[in-house]
Amino acid sequence: MAVTVSIPTILRSHTGGEKSVEASGNTVLEVIDDIESRHSGLKERLVKDSKLHRFVNVYVNDEDVRFVGGLDAEVSDGDTVTILPAVAGGAR
Amino acid sequence: MGRFESLLDALGDTPLVGLPRLSPARDVRLWAKLEDRNPTGSIKDRTALAMIEAAERDGTLRQGSTILEPTSGNTGISLAMAAKVKGYGLVCVMPENTSTERKQLLQAYGARIVDSPAAGGSNEAVRRAKELAESNPDWVLLYQYGNQANVDAHYTGTGPELLKDLPEVTHFVAGLGTTGTLVGVGRYLHEHKPGVQVVAAEPRYGELVYGLRNLDEGFVPELYDPDVLTGRFSVGAYDALRRTRELLELEGIFAGISTGAVLHAALAVAQRAQARGESADVAFVVADAGWKYLSTGAYSGSLDEAAERLDGQLWA
Repeated sequence: MAVTVSIPTILRSHTGGEKSVEASGNTVLEVIDDIESRHSGLKERLVKDSKLHRFVNVYVNDEDVRFVGGLDAEVSDGDTVTILPAVAGGAR
Repeated sequence: MGRFESLLDALGDTPLVGLPRLSPARDVRLWAKLEDRNPTGSIKDRTALAMIEAAERDGTLRQGSTILEPTSGNTGISLAMAAKVKGYGLVCVMPENTSTERKQLLQAYGARIVDSPAAGGSNEAVRRAKELAESNPDWVLLYQYGNQANVDAHYTGTGPELLKDLPEVTHFVAGLGTTGTLVGVGRYLHEHKPGVQVVAAEPRYGELVYGLRNLDEGFVPELYDPDVLTGRFSVGAYDALRRTRELLELEGIFAGISTGAVLHAALAVAQRAQARGESADVAFVVADAGWKYLSTGAYSGSLDEAAERLDGQLWA
């Protein structure tokens, strides 16, 4: 399963400056593990105690994975996975 | 609707309107709660007035006090109006990358504006406001991100209004900022309408806003309660603009850009229900009208151009 993963600026030091990388896997965790195998150091920034880091949000096709299984959320061929730091977005 | 003793008394009881053209099917319907029909034209009038009244009750706000608040616009405008009417001063900490109309309105109401850096967006405004509160102990920081009155305003106002007008509601969708609307309305609906889905639409900004975020110093509003939400979508500027324009073209509603993001998520859950052969009544919040965003070019030119113009701005 090939997916495109978009990497936030703060983590691009782990991907050689790449804004997005191709990866494979059937779940979010498998995708992260796959990236980790080529860009070591990324996983520990995203995963803590087998859960997503509190201030990291991961979206599969714009949907927050925390509500659809977390790290076990399924990904399918052609999906877009977006990693973003938590911000006070939309705050007025 | 009717006669009120003063502008503040005209708050709330906003209309809920159906969207016959945007609804995907006869039994999968979309409903818009028009929060721009509040005294200063946004849902934040509810938050602002509730926070001020709570602070008056507990004695932290007294005649002549100065209120301090981090805001990218609407809360500031609501507070400025209420402060004017009630005789308080107001200092707003505002990211410099917000629309010019919002600053002009705040100035018209006599508020003082302290700029916070564009990079980091609202996180920076929050940080700066907390600093200012420490160095000015006589100022009253209402702090919408952690003030329970913000949630209460929606638990006792927006939520009951919605359920009264739409007892058959299956989904509630709103923007995610302070999380006050979603947590307040969501909690009320869960208690009175078991099985209801509560879905957040979060604006996804350009590089500038996220660029410098340190993952260890991230920000989650104190009011946030993940147990209330059943889903959450991140919506970029392009989709938000596309839906904002569809709402205007198909239903005649001239809404702000954040409403486009909310509509995008509302359509996603509506279409999902339709695909499963389920009926649905999806209510979503129109947080404000489009007036304050005209200068951003959101409503003219191609979507790509408009999205590019919004890059780096806080549009919700």
